[in-house]
Amino acid sequence: MDERLKRLRAADRISAPTIIRALLPTMVRQRGDRLLGQDAALTAGFGQTATGQRLAVLGVDRGNDLASRRSKNGGALTVPGYRTALRVVQHAQKFGMPVVSLINMPGADASPVSERFGQSQAIADLIAATGQLPVPNLVIFLGEGHSGGALGFANANRIMMLDDALFNVASPEAVAAILHGQQTVSDAIDLLPMTATDLAERGLVDQVVSHETPKLVDTLISLIETQLQDLSQWDGLALIAQREAKFQHFLDTWPIN
Amino acid sequence: MTHYPKTGTWTTCVACGRHVHHSQWGPFRQCPYCKHWQRLTAQQRIDLLVDAASFQPLPMPERPVNALHFPAYDQKLARAQERTMSTEAVVTGVATIDQHPAVIAVMDSYFMMGTLNTVVTRRIVAASQVARKRRLPLILVTTSGGARMQEGDYALVGMNLVLAELARLAAVPLPLITVLTDPTMGGVSASFAFKGDVVVAEAGAKIGFAGARVIQQTMPVDLPADFQTAESLFEHGMLDAVVARPQLSQYLATVLASYDLKGDH
Repeated sequence: MDERLKRLRAADRISAPTIIRALLPTMVRQRGDRLLGQDAALTAGFGQTATGQRLAVLGVDRGNDLASRRSKNGGALTVPGYRTALRVVQHAQKFGMPVVSLINMPGADASPVSERFGQSQAIADLIAATGQLPVPNLVIFLGEGHSGGALGFANANRIMMLDDALFNVASPEAVAAILHGQQTVSDAIDLLPMTATDLAERGLVDQVVSHETPKLVDTLISLIETQLQDLSQWDGLALIAQREAKFQHFLDTWPIN
Repeated sequence: MTHYPKTGTWTTCVACGRHVHHSQWGPFRQCPYCKHWQRLTAQQRIDLLVDAASFQPLPMPERPVNALHFPAYDQKLARAQERTMSTEAVVTGVATIDQHPAVIAVMDSYFMMGTLNTVVTRRIVAASQVARKRRLPLILVTTSGGARMQEGDYALVGMNLVLAELARLAAVPLPLITVLTDPTMGGVSASFAFKGDVVVAEAGAKIGFAGARVIQQTMPVDLPADFQTAESLFEHGMLDAVVARPQLSQYLATVLASYDLKGDH
């Protein structure tokens, strides 16, 4: 496998649960979608930071050993995962809490059961809901985030990425596949702007953080608090408008022929 | 003078492989042998759905650009444009259906499998803006393989930008009617396809997120014969109706009549 991907998918990669434990030491865990079930890949809930900031969090990770990788489906969220995330977002909206997402997830869960229970609708509902949030939201890409599933979390006022993380319309494997094997997966990463620096230069990503930063967890927590402090001045309508304008501006940089 | 028939006189049915004479397809493009509904171009779809001569195209000045210099994308665009005589994978306009006015956007699977890119996003957003300005219902006829990979995240953000625009349409409120045709997959399925106030699928359409081939590459599983068909989605409560092609125009007329919006012309 490509060395970059190996690092993002490694068992010892910094993960959402590690950061969430430090960010919200006494978090109230929210589990399940009240309809179909729950998703072990999603670590979600709300609580207070050490500085007294109330927050909701959504974390997606791949698991760090064989058993957890299996129970978390390798980080490929299932329908109850998206539906639980939607419930957490709506709860945060109700109580005016900012939403922080921390993700490292492959593309879609390609399975008959996810199709049967409406993976499309679950993803669409999460993207639509995060887009219309009147509370601040931000996402940090800790590893990979691809396709509509990741966009459900990345439809945010601020997008932050670790410097070696990837955010693309599809996984590098899927990009290589449409080229019928003429390019390797490594080549595919370079064919499209999906790295943190590429996307920051293009205005989609707001902040890039080195994955080698000493005390990375503490650094990320303080960056989250700084970003949320900036956004705390904005009212709901301004947050919704800023979020859309950011993506619209990115689209507008695509040349018109 | 040649004794060979004109190109297009005989075509092969993609479902059963039989050779079908153009007169046998009929106006609704159904295979006379296996009853498969041939996929339609956007123009064919418009001709079947709206009142004759009522379709007024919206301005669609943008052309796709291979801004990321993705391999072979220029050639694919050129081939798609030649094949469909369209400039992109969606055609938008204002029309009437049984005298009821609506804004309509029709995707085209013959243009790079109807994939969502920067131009398609702009056109659908513009169509919704016209619907809001003129107080008309919006009909989105989907057929798509998802977001267009050749445009990277610029294609991906079409999903949330279209949803943000549709939130404004809903806030008016104006009706959104989505018509899911074969195939509606990936990023289109997972953004606006199911956001209709009324969601109807054409009989025989395949609808889902990850396609059967992708699923079978991931896990060795036997998929049921009706996997991702409009009929099975209807059984599972995902659709308001499944309507066969000859009745689709009348169905939409009934929906529009039930909202009874006259619009500000």
